[in-house]
Amino acid sequence: MNFAKRAWLNLIAKKGRTALLILVTSAIMLFVMAGLLIKSAANQATENAKDSIGATLTLSANREAAFKKMRENAASSDGQPSQPSEKPSLSMSPVKLSTAEKIAKLAGVESYSVAVSTSANAKSFDAISTSTGQMTGPMGNRGGESSGDITISGVSSTAANANFSDKTYVIKKGRGLTASDEGTNNVVIESELATENDLKVGDTITVKNTAKTKTYKLKVVGIYKAKSTASTTMGGGMMGGGDPSNTIFASYTFANTLKGTKYKDTADSVVFTVSTPSKVAGVKKAANKLISSKFSLTADDQSYQMVKASMSSVTSFADKIVWLVAIAGTIILALIVVLMIRERRFEIGILLSLGEKRAKVIAQFFVELFVILLVGVGIASAGGQFVGDKLAAQVVSSAQTTTTSSTNQPGGMPGGQGGPGGTQGASRTGAPSGMPGQASQKAQTKQAKLATQVTFKSVAILFGLGLAIILIAILAGAGGILRLNPKRILIG
Amino acid sequence: MLTTENLTYWYTEKDQYLFKDVNLAFEAGHSYAIVGQSGSGKTTMVSLLAGLDTPKAGRILIDGQDIKKHGLTNYRQSKVAIVFQAYNLFTYMSALENLMTAMAITKAKHRGDKTYARGMLTKLGLTDEQMTKNVQKLSGGQQQRVAIARTMVCDAPLVVADEPTGNLDEDNTTDVIALFNQIAHDAGKCVIIVTHEAAVAAQCDGVLRLAHRTFTWEKQPQAAVTA
Repeated sequence: MNFAKRAWLNLIAKKGRTALLILVTSAIMLFVMAGLLIKSAANQATENAKDSIGATLTLSANREAAFKKMRENAASSDGQPSQPSEKPSLSMSPVKLSTAEKIAKLAGVESYSVAVSTSANAKSFDAISTSTGQMTGPMGNRGGESSGDITISGVSSTAANANFSDKTYVIKKGRGLTASDEGTNNVVIESELATENDLKVGDTITVKNTAKTKTYKLKVVGIYKAKSTASTTMGGGMMGGGDPSNTIFASYTFANTLKGTKYKDTADSVVFTVSTPSKVAGVKKAANKLISSKFSLTADDQSYQMVKASMSSVTSFADKIVWLVAIAGTIILALIVVLMIRERRFEIGILLSLGEKRAKVIAQFFVELFVILLVGVGIASAGGQFVGDKLAAQVVSSAQTTTTSSTNQPGGMPGGQGGPGGTQGASRTGAPSGMPGQASQKAQTKQAKLATQVTFKSVAILFGLGLAIILIAILAGAGGILRLNPKRILIG
Repeated sequence: MLTTENLTYWYTEKDQYLFKDVNLAFEAGHSYAIVGQSGSGKTTMVSLLAGLDTPKAGRILIDGQDIKKHGLTNYRQSKVAIVFQAYNLFTYMSALENLMTAMAITKAKHRGDKTYARGMLTKLGLTDEQMTKNVQKLSGGQQQRVAIARTMVCDAPLVVADEPTGNLDEDNTTDVIALFNQIAHDAGKCVIIVTHEAAVAAQCDGVLRLAHRTFTWEKQPQAAVTA
């Protein structure tokens, strides 16, 4: 073991060179460690996403079936004496809540929320009118129904509504609606509407149904603030006055009352939250057995898929970091070892002249780099988390994707869909009055924050990689030693 | 003890040999000087005898056995100790550590015995302070003494020195050659010194001159045999 002692003496005697090697090795190990941690954290985040990010199933009228039926009716009426004034109308059945309750009892379904959308006319207050938000032309009517200037968004609770859950809408005063508001006329109004009409929490407002046959008293229990972006993102989904400030959140029971008695215990759509994305397919299959062809179930596990996709990109990036740094590190270390060996040719010559075996000369270099690697791995383990966190934040930020899509929807479409998390309520606002316009979708990927953590396993992997790097570097660098002739070194 | 049989060496062209069919014998207990002009091949001869290089033809025998059969690494480890003009010490070690390292590598009888190594350095005139400081902080004469001490602590029966006094002043030169003679006469080793200094050669028991590709004995010690 004399080579080990020589290695130690050399490391101690040449402090400057040792410090430089420690610095280089630590830097290499630090980045390899950061890459390993990010990769591990990304894998963990994907695993967590499977459990934590819920997926949704939306039960609503089957538009395709409705259109098909409409076309069939139109075709059958072709044989009849034509009535120029009669046009085939699209008839979509509302979802029965009893059906929703049956689906809610299926294994894997955590909760469900109900969304009903309709419109009304402001009576005791003025709706906010905007020039761009005016509903004109064909979009105002559906099946002879007239559109009001106020959008009534019936929900089972405001908290379950996507706009509130993603903070597009925020309760500023009072409270949101809960299940306890079912059967009441409690409402939550937008702050601009409240300001314009000098309304406060506790005030009572009145609206008329679109047929202007009935007046309803509504109690303001909360005031919400819509972000300025809501006007652009939600504008397409507005049916009433067009301006998002004209959206009043009420219990779905009131929205049904406003729509008419035949809509009692129904909903435009019901969103079921499934515990994990992996259960969506099973729940959908079971739920399909409980519904008729008039309805459709749409799975929405976009949040999970987006997290999975972005984490996959992060993992791929982390992989690249590990490989690139490992390859670059091996090359850098090999070059340093080559230079070190050239500088120590004379020492090698002396060792060979004393009869030292070449393998032990290489072993001496290995021990020297092994000690340096130990220090480097120690530093990387101590600082890896810090670098990993910083790098992960940067990587996640760049991997974050925002997708915006616009779809042109034909008349009668029940509003636009919200985002990847699934939306309900206000976003599905087109039903009664029909909005053939644009439904803008903005999907903001929900990113799981990468929490890097130095573990025994990551240190062991790093150490193994480091060992491989120094072995390759030494073999590449010390290869020349095997060809060295002691006479040439010492005498020549 | 050490003999050469038809030893021949050339660099690249066979017909431009440095020396050819050299037959020499060196005995234990004597010191030998190989003299000759620069470039005549003295150092090549000594490197062959030291096992640092291999002859193109012929062979070198130690105690009747071809050094190739020993293996050159083993030969250098156990049979020969080398002293160079540039001392060739481990520059990151002290004098004492140099000796301890050499003893460990050559598997000397006294390996690991620090007292023995200290005693040898003291014998060669180094103080305790000098033997524990880095060798680069010692004078040229002191470093050459350390190099000689290194050959003495190793058990090699053959000591080969290439211009060992080349960097030394007159006083140190006299001292160093006296030490080599001491190694030969007292320790019973065979000492072969390559030198271009006539004064150094004069102090050795035998003097061999290399001129015109031929070795000639100028002074023969007892039992030396010419080719």
